Amino acid sequence: MSGILCAIRGGPASQPTILKSIQLAQHTNKTIYFLYVVNLDFLAHTSSSKTEHISKEIEEMGEFILLSAQDQAQKEGVQAEGITRDGKVVDEVVAFCEENQPDYVILGRPQEDRENNLLTLERLQSFADRIREVCSAEVLFTPEGSPEED
Amino acid sequence: MKLKRPTIWIILLSLLASILLLSGNGPAAAQENTSDVYLYGKVEDGQFQPVRDVEVTLVDPSSQEILSSSLTLSDGRYALALPNSFPRQLKIDFTRPHFANQVLTISPEIVGSLQSGSSITLPKILLEREITAAFWIAGFVFIAVLILIATGFLHNTLAAFSGASAILLVSYLGTPFSPNLHIFTFPQATAYIDWNVVFLIMGMMMVIAVVENTGIFHWLSYHAYRISGGRMWVLLPVLMLITGVSSAFLDNVTTMLLMTPITVQIALTLNISPLILLIPEVFASNVIGVSTLIGTPTNILIGSYGNITFNDFLTNLTPGILAAFLALIAYSWFTYRGELEGEKTGSPTLLKKLEERGKITNPVNLRKAGWIGAGMLLMFIFGEKIHLLPAVTALIGASALLLWIRPDVEEMIGAVDWTTLVFFMSLFIVVGAIQEVGLISMIASLIGRLIGDNLILAMIVVTWFSAFLSMIVANIPFTAAMLPVIGYLTIIVPGADSKVLYYCLSIGAALGGNGSLIGASANMITAGIADRAGYKITYKYFLKKGVPALIITVTISLIWLFIRF
Repeated sequence: MSGILCAIRGGPASQPTILKSIQLAQHTNKTIYFLYVVNLDFLAHTSSSKTEHISKEIEEMGEFILLSAQDQAQKEGVQAEGITRDGKVVDEVVAFCEENQPDYVILGRPQEDRENNLLTLERLQSFADRIREVCSAEVLFTPEGSPEED
Repeated sequence: MKLKRPTIWIILLSLLASILLLSGNGPAAAQENTSDVYLYGKVEDGQFQPVRDVEVTLVDPSSQEILSSSLTLSDGRYALALPNSFPRQLKIDFTRPHFANQVLTISPEIVGSLQSGSSITLPKILLEREITAAFWIAGFVFIAVLILIATGFLHNTLAAFSGASAILLVSYLGTPFSPNLHIFTFPQATAYIDWNVVFLIMGMMMVIAVVENTGIFHWLSYHAYRISGGRMWVLLPVLMLITGVSSAFLDNVTTMLLMTPITVQIALTLNISPLILLIPEVFASNVIGVSTLIGTPTNILIGSYGNITFNDFLTNLTPGILAAFLALIAYSWFTYRGELEGEKTGSPTLLKKLEERGKITNPVNLRKAGWIGAGMLLMFIFGEKIHLLPAVTALIGASALLLWIRPDVEEMIGAVDWTTLVFFMSLFIVVGAIQEVGLISMIASLIGRLIGDNLILAMIVVTWFSAFLSMIVANIPFTAAMLPVIGYLTIIVPGADSKVLYYCLSIGAALGGNGSLIGASANMITAGIADRAGYKITYKYFLKKGVPALIITVTISLIWLFIRF
């Protein structure tokens, strides 16, 4: 697969990552693959019987987030596709890279003030190293947007 | 072989039930050589509540020979069968763990009457509480369970299950070393489990499992969007109403699990922050959920303990809750007025997708569930005339639905949230332990002394105390622990026999959940899903929006209770 992998979570924090991938796609004329990973870890402390059903609902929500990003890319004249996967974000991004060998991977750089950020700066570097181990993609970082505050 | 989670919980549940069945306490052996003459009486504690399992022993004081013995029943009553011949001096010993022993000397006049063949009813005996090491251990375990749940260090069920195990472990291993370590026996522990609550929740879970897979929530939400035509002042209250009405009949967590992803999709379509819709929705879920007996686990607990029926909730609580809901709509509109103004036009691509998904996926099952649901509602309303317990209605409804739909049985068993059921059973044991050792009685006495005989003050204290404590403590264990306290206040406060204080607890415990992110499981679920969409609901953000919502809705509901009672 030739293209740009852009893993997104949705919301304002993903905008810089989406914009960066659109700019890169315009420059390189490659397709963007927006990736949304369904992760249900937050259900660990509540209900367990609903996991299957809620997984489907969140996957559908992810498809909406991807569709929204694709819409944005297409308005800028860039071809974009959306992919959803289930599991842990880091593992799924690495697995996707191994399976599809993208040319570029765009990762959001964390903000220090954000609570529970998935990727701290240290983890981000080791994440990038893991990606480089499984594919020859160029890993690019982009600053994340501010988390939503009223 | 790795066992799946539901399987593990089913095994644990079966184990618990088996032990319960095998360890039943048989009735005391029939006493031989007894006459037809009896000594009757009743034993109560300091809160005038009957004390069961008190060992009542009739003794000859000169020889210390035991002439007769009995245990008090759940209503605190006992009956001592006298032997054919007995001395002129008699005494009765009353002994029970966690209470000071008491001796009653039988007067010669009474002995004379007994000897002439007349049975006698003795005056009530009040047993005084005794604080032992068991008191502190049970209290510590209860607080530890609350902390473990609040901090999320352990899964709710695991925290409560471990707590119940710890209490029984101390009781069984500690008693041989010191009687002061005895909390209760296993049969006594399981007697605290309210099976009406467990089966009602189980039955409703099966019905919900069918309904949630029909696409009804997608259909309703899409039509809410369609009807609103992008006008937020219409969309917001309609979504709040859908969420609220659903929460009145389904549990709040399930409602928000289903509504949150759909709401995020609507918000993305309209290019607005989902939080504008999600926060009012979760508030609505917590508020309207309290309007029916089956809307929240706390109401199920309250209804079962206080013997409050479905109709009682409808007539005594629902009007006040509806008034609070209207105020909540106004508050939500005011809070998000900046974002809600004007008409929003959706992205055509996303709108098309929303329309595709806004369909009923299983109309046959939905129709069947609708018929059964209507039947259950009628049974909840009219069942009280034939003393039909809500749990029985839920089980009949669930069975009828399953027989009609004939789903995969394994799938349905998997749909029952066994973790929640084990949580409730374990929690009943933990709360039973603090009740057994007298901690609840102590709290009840303290609150009783503070309130005196002022009903208005009692209503205010119970409501606001519950509301603010529910902000920081999981409201299910809190409610379970408060029920005996409310039971005591209902007896001692003049005018409280209308059970108004139970409604105050219901309002406080459920609406208090709106005050903080950790105040209700539905809040945490909503925040978790919103976070997966990239919209973080922080503790600070929720507190800022939630505390005014709590104050408004609790105040209005309390005013309604003042008017009603």
